[in-house]
Amino acid sequence: MNSLWVVVIGAVVIYLAYNFYARRIDRVVIASDPNRATPATMYMDGADFMPTSRFVLYGYHFKSIAAAGPIVGVITAANLWGWLPSIVWLMVGVTFIGWASDYSAIMMAVRNDGNSLSAIAHRLISPRTRTILFVFIFFYLLLIGGAFVGIMAAILDARPDVPFGIVVLAIMGVVGGWLIYRRRADLIMVTLLIVVVTLAAMALGPLGVKFSPNNQPPPTWSTGVVSGPVLGINNALNGGGPIYSVVDPTNADPRVPPSGPDGKRPQTKAYNPATGAINVFPSFLFWCLFLLVFAYLGTNLAIWRFAQPVNYIGFWIMALTIGLSAIGAILAPFTNPGVATFQVQAITGFAPTQATGAIQWLWPMLFVTIACGAISGWHALFGSVGTARQLEYETDALPVGGGGMFSENTLGLLSLTAVAITGAAGAGAFAGGVGKLLNVATFGALPVAFGTALGFGSFVVIVLTVVQLVFRVMRVTLGEWLGEWWVGFKNQHVSSVFGSILVLALVLSGTWVYLWQLFGASNQLLAALSLLLVTLWLRSAGRNPAFAGIPMVFMYVTTVAASLITAYNLYATIVTRAGSAAISVIGAWAMIIVALLLVAAALLIAWDAWKAWTRRPAEVQPQPAPAGGD
Amino acid sequence: MNERAANGRRASVLAGLREFLYGMTGHEFARHAVATRASLETLFMVTCVGDMIGLPVMPPYYSLRLLPFVVPEIATWKRRVLRERQFSDEHDFELHGV
Repeated sequence: MNSLWVVVIGAVVIYLAYNFYARRIDRVVIASDPNRATPATMYMDGADFMPTSRFVLYGYHFKSIAAAGPIVGVITAANLWGWLPSIVWLMVGVTFIGWASDYSAIMMAVRNDGNSLSAIAHRLISPRTRTILFVFIFFYLLLIGGAFVGIMAAILDARPDVPFGIVVLAIMGVVGGWLIYRRRADLIMVTLLIVVVTLAAMALGPLGVKFSPNNQPPPTWSTGVVSGPVLGINNALNGGGPIYSVVDPTNADPRVPPSGPDGKRPQTKAYNPATGAINVFPSFLFWCLFLLVFAYLGTNLAIWRFAQPVNYIGFWIMALTIGLSAIGAILAPFTNPGVATFQVQAITGFAPTQATGAIQWLWPMLFVTIACGAISGWHALFGSVGTARQLEYETDALPVGGGGMFSENTLGLLSLTAVAITGAAGAGAFAGGVGKLLNVATFGALPVAFGTALGFGSFVVIVLTVVQLVFRVMRVTLGEWLGEWWVGFKNQHVSSVFGSILVLALVLSGTWVYLWQLFGASNQLLAALSLLLVTLWLRSAGRNPAFAGIPMVFMYVTTVAASLITAYNLYATIVTRAGSAAISVIGAWAMIIVALLLVAAALLIAWDAWKAWTRRPAEVQPQPAPAGGD
Repeated sequence: MNERAANGRRASVLAGLREFLYGMTGHEFARHAVATRASLETLFMVTCVGDMIGLPVMPPYYSLRLLPFVVPEIATWKRRVLRERQFSDEHDFELHGV
């Protein structure tokens, strides 16, 4: 297997799925009609409801949904189950579930006067579904915040060449917002300035560091122009040794080094192969706080001043890195076959053995570990409010919503390629793979070490841009959900700090991979809920709901099972493990409670949905037109 | 004829590509600027002709003086202000990329 095959498989499957399945559903089941007025044309209000060209909307929708999800999930899954199950789920998931979820959520909103998912859930299922949706969204955000902050802090702690680029990213974000909105500077010039400066800062990271093949001996960070001072800060903080240690039974934590040629993992400052303990140093805590401060700025400054331009820079860095890597993946089999060949195991088994007894069965755990590249509930939430209100014609929904999801799937495929060609897995392997592909794409002009640094930097940038928005939505959700109970939550600073403390507690006390899998479960449950709404809507409209209903049942059962298994894993491998640090046990219990809450919320929705299903379709009344229409 | 058709196709592909790039780059900034302007405009409209939605906040004399300037915006303003909203409606820019 090599990288070219991934490109071929991706292109063929996406072509067939789009042209022979998605188009048929659009034509026969949904019956999109270009002559039917959309909410954008009916309720144009100059701001939210605006008819927009499908090409513009496709770019907008793709940019809005493509981020770190398809990258992180794939590199974790390749580690646990191998590249074969990962690619199969990516392709099957996007073909039968992913595009259907995104597209149908948009079409449902279009046919329901542009109402959001929660408003439609209120009408089609029950009023309390809207409240449960808040619970889902809040825990979803908490878990993704914890998972992302944890993985980024581990990288910043282990790679002193990365933080400088992040500091420059923050500065360029502020400069970019000021130039675009205050100075009304030309967008192309601003883009060139802020993206080039950020990329240059990221590439400066490894300057002066000596690298050797296979990291033997390890890079000399202390000699680096940028990494030297950062290493000095880390060493000064870590003088007293580790604070405590945690254990990752799956070895997916970024601090666990990949196995050597002898199959054994080497001892590092943070990892003890004899006990499996991962040492938590003060510098790890420092980088967690650094990231939380970054997220606090993104949460509380006006969105145009920081979060939006930072996200914009992140998007370009992702586009350039992934785009060049894609070129490298296509060229490598011809110019450098050694680089293109997959080194990772094809499959590790349906129930790979975990040293500490954690259950990581291929079903259901793979299906929540790879979330966004195959299917994502968040896309449906965003699509129903952001995209559905700008569609000029109903027939644009498929290329915009479905096409956007298929495009995001290619990100997952490229991440898989980057990981698979390095022979290991995890964020480090992803960065290493990107380094090799960039080297091929630039015909050797960019050394692998610098490409790898760029891979690490772009990984952190992509994840970080998401994290600041996660905290932003968490702050809003807290205010909406708990603001009535205690008015303090309506204060943005109080809710931001409260959310940050919860995330920090999860990061410090939890196990990264369980956080990620719980996030994946909540994300896929959100997708199942969206498909459930589509199923009920199609039934009430007298149409065949099978294309949404069957995937909904599969995702629902899978995610509930995955949540329960993760709760069991937490209990069996951390709570009852002799020698677990008290903070780990508290974190494990917190995550078990979150997992059970998600299951309880899912069961409540299922019960209400069953009652809605057994109601006669005629009982579901059409939604009246919004007030204020002419 | 064939050459003209080919030129037309090429132009339409280029236009589509241009729009796609704009969608990925400038559209979000433009939407945000428009949303900000709309919220400021809403304040102005409420002050001038708030009685149209049941908020009599300005003496009719001044409302009548300003009426010619606000007439073109009244229809879209009423739709915007009187629409039932969910929390996600107000924060769609924050939902990007998650």
